[in-house]
Amino acid sequence: MGTYFLRRVLATIPVMAIVALFVFSLLYIAPGDPAAVIAGDQASPEQIAHIRASLGLDRPFIVRFGDWLWHVVHGDLGTSIFTNLPVSHMIAQRIEPTLSLMIVTLILSLVIAIPMGVIAAWTQGKWQDRLIMVFAVLGFSTPVFVIGYVLAFVFALQLRWLPVQGFVPIEQGFWPFLRTLVLPAFTLGGIYIALIARITRASMLDVLSQDYVRTARAKGLGERPVLFVHALKNAAVPIVTVVGLGVALLIGGAVVTESVFAIPGLGRLTVDAILRRDYPVIQGVVLLFSFVYVLVNLVIDLLYTVFDPRIRY
Amino acid sequence: MRRRDFLTSSLAAATSLAAPAIARGAEARVLRFVPQANLPNLDPVWGTQYVVRNASLLVFDTLFGLDASLTPRPQMCESFETSSDGLTWRFRLRPGLTFHDGTRVLARDATASLGRWMARDTMGQLIRARLDAMAASDDRTFEIRLKTPFPKLLFALAKGNPNLPAIMPERIAQTDPFKQISEFIGSGPMTFQKDEWVPGSRAVFARFNGYAARDEPGNWMAGGKRIYFDRVEWQIIPDAATAAAALQSGEVDWWETPLPDLVPLLRQNEDVRVDIADPLGNVGILRMNHLYPPFNDVRLRRALQMVVNQPDYMRAIVGNDDALWKPMPSFITPGTPLYTEAGGEALSGPRDFAAAKKLLAEAGYGGEKVVMLVATDLIITKGQGDVSADVMAKAGFNVDYVATDWGTVGARRAKKDPPSQGGWNMFHTWLAGVDCINPAPNIAIHTTGPKAWFGWPDNPAIEAMIGDWYAAPDLASEKQQIEKINRASMEFVTFIPTGFFYGYQAWRRGVEGIVKAPFPVFWDVKKA
Repeated sequence: MGTYFLRRVLATIPVMAIVALFVFSLLYIAPGDPAAVIAGDQASPEQIAHIRASLGLDRPFIVRFGDWLWHVVHGDLGTSIFTNLPVSHMIAQRIEPTLSLMIVTLILSLVIAIPMGVIAAWTQGKWQDRLIMVFAVLGFSTPVFVIGYVLAFVFALQLRWLPVQGFVPIEQGFWPFLRTLVLPAFTLGGIYIALIARITRASMLDVLSQDYVRTARAKGLGERPVLFVHALKNAAVPIVTVVGLGVALLIGGAVVTESVFAIPGLGRLTVDAILRRDYPVIQGVVLLFSFVYVLVNLVIDLLYTVFDPRIRY
Repeated sequence: MRRRDFLTSSLAAATSLAAPAIARGAEARVLRFVPQANLPNLDPVWGTQYVVRNASLLVFDTLFGLDASLTPRPQMCESFETSSDGLTWRFRLRPGLTFHDGTRVLARDATASLGRWMARDTMGQLIRARLDAMAASDDRTFEIRLKTPFPKLLFALAKGNPNLPAIMPERIAQTDPFKQISEFIGSGPMTFQKDEWVPGSRAVFARFNGYAARDEPGNWMAGGKRIYFDRVEWQIIPDAATAAAALQSGEVDWWETPLPDLVPLLRQNEDVRVDIADPLGNVGILRMNHLYPPFNDVRLRRALQMVVNQPDYMRAIVGNDDALWKPMPSFITPGTPLYTEAGGEALSGPRDFAAAKKLLAEAGYGGEKVVMLVATDLIITKGQGDVSADVMAKAGFNVDYVATDWGTVGARRAKKDPPSQGGWNMFHTWLAGVDCINPAPNIAIHTTGPKAWFGWPDNPAIEAMIGDWYAAPDLASEKQQIEKINRASMEFVTFIPTGFFYGYQAWRRGVEGIVKAPFPVFWDVKKA
């Protein structure tokens, strides 16, 4: 296991290197010029050229990439072209809201989606199953921003139960922190809940037809232990896989959710940076997201061994 | 009830009653403001966005400031005098001016700041081209000596559009004008709380108790800039619907730029007030590239001018709210002293597609592609682009509609390459009305060829007229010159103004003192 873990951690290095090269190349060939954005609407081409030179954007690709990579290897993600702040500082400012949103969404989704999937499988073909699947289809097919607007309109604007926007750090109190995250988490969790509920249902249906489940029932075990102790544990591997893959969904959804609810997270930082062509920030954030994704997949692989003792690395 | 229980419950009751009052007091000392855009930096010279200018006006002060009548008024200056030949200007600073770091504002801070500004700003460059010397005579006095007179000097020092001639400590002003400053220390009415700054989310300003306000009331960039809040918190809310909801629910106090589409909704809320934001409004612009066919031929530019129907453009921008726009057969902002419609019949008369087609044929237009850059991420540029594509197709132009984002338009329009090699033929944008009150801040009207704004129109005769306007000694002479410039620019079709439009601002009931201005004026605003 230790060797496997070490091997996987080392494997992230070439992955990150490829991501770095890919992102840098993509931004290099993408249209747009931060110097033109900085110079403003009234700038002359000469002023734009001057700013481009002062930012080092007129240097050849290989020189710029080498320079950036050298700094990244030394733990320096560079400085934002627009704010003049270190990219690592900007990421640090934004990581708490995004991480909080993802964790709350993840907990919420698991708590709701897994029982939904289990109940749907248990009541296969009945109205409960159909109702849950209708919710799942809705969750899949409704855009994140639509869910966000509807929730904000009902629970923030009409009922005044929750705030419309913003984020309160956890150190300012757990309840204020949670209040700002309830609507965004439900918004972001919509598609995630749908995905996990469907996979849980499918996986449970597969497991419920196995002999050992029939045996458990035959020896007189109640339905609850059969479902949640015997069946669910054995159905967990595909569910855990989907939960891991779904992190990419969360990252993508966070961009929209953070914009709708004005949460100062990494998603909005990414969008702002892309619109302004703030290259160091885009590169830094994409690198971070890639690293998180690789890390999550590693954790998922390790979790397989917990749910299925037959799996050994 | 035991005595201790009684005291405890009484105290709890008293606290719960007092809390709202305390909260209300604290609330009244904080103004929560939703700006038009994210505040990416706070360098009034390096940063060219209006949002940077707006924040800079809180933190930095200027030597002169434009008031609501567009007259430059002394701000940091106590007095000034001009030599009879107009070549020497002597300025004296007010006593008691202090920077946020506690140091005195000295004349050498002013000269260093102006020097940095002159390297970047269009009007500053005009002064620099005439500059013989600029130096401090003592701690409070400095002199600007020119080689040739520049009667618009005070207007330039009072200008309210970016780049702002803001005064900062000499050591900061010595920063390369093409690099950003890292310390945001001014002598304005509020200090910038850099520790609380989260770009893209939040910027906080705290009242500067050492600010030396002028005795007179605040008047746009001039007068006593008295702040009645401990803090002004800028909350960046990128989504318009969310900002509208936040204003309705009372989570924010003032929203700088509500979308016209959302205004009817806001007006239904009795706790929200809505009004025009800037009386000088905005000017829509259709800009053509004068370097390459077809628009290097004035006949083709005139053909396009013939079919531009300003009401269509304006409705595409602001919707059906006709109170929000005016036709503008002019290059000068309506309602300002120099406004003229001389030559404006080219835009105000009936639109003539037949004449345009005839002109296209006369000019030998053979259906070459017209590369039109359209920033579809901005309503103003998208709306104008759609209307142009429609009328140009009807007139017989072969339009290549390049849908992209503003970041790409910003970069591509700076390219002088032929349209087929990554260049362009036309794009749309807009200028704030304050930038079009005369030719000094209006970069789009200049025709200096390779040195002109994107599109590079070249017409020495118009430039000579603009030069005469700079030298005009009084308003009457200025008006004469502006009429000539307007007529000549219409004939030359330097660019096509697509109309004049306003924007709204909205705020919570209980916030008082909000005025109409080209920027959000925070001084003299109070909250109940």
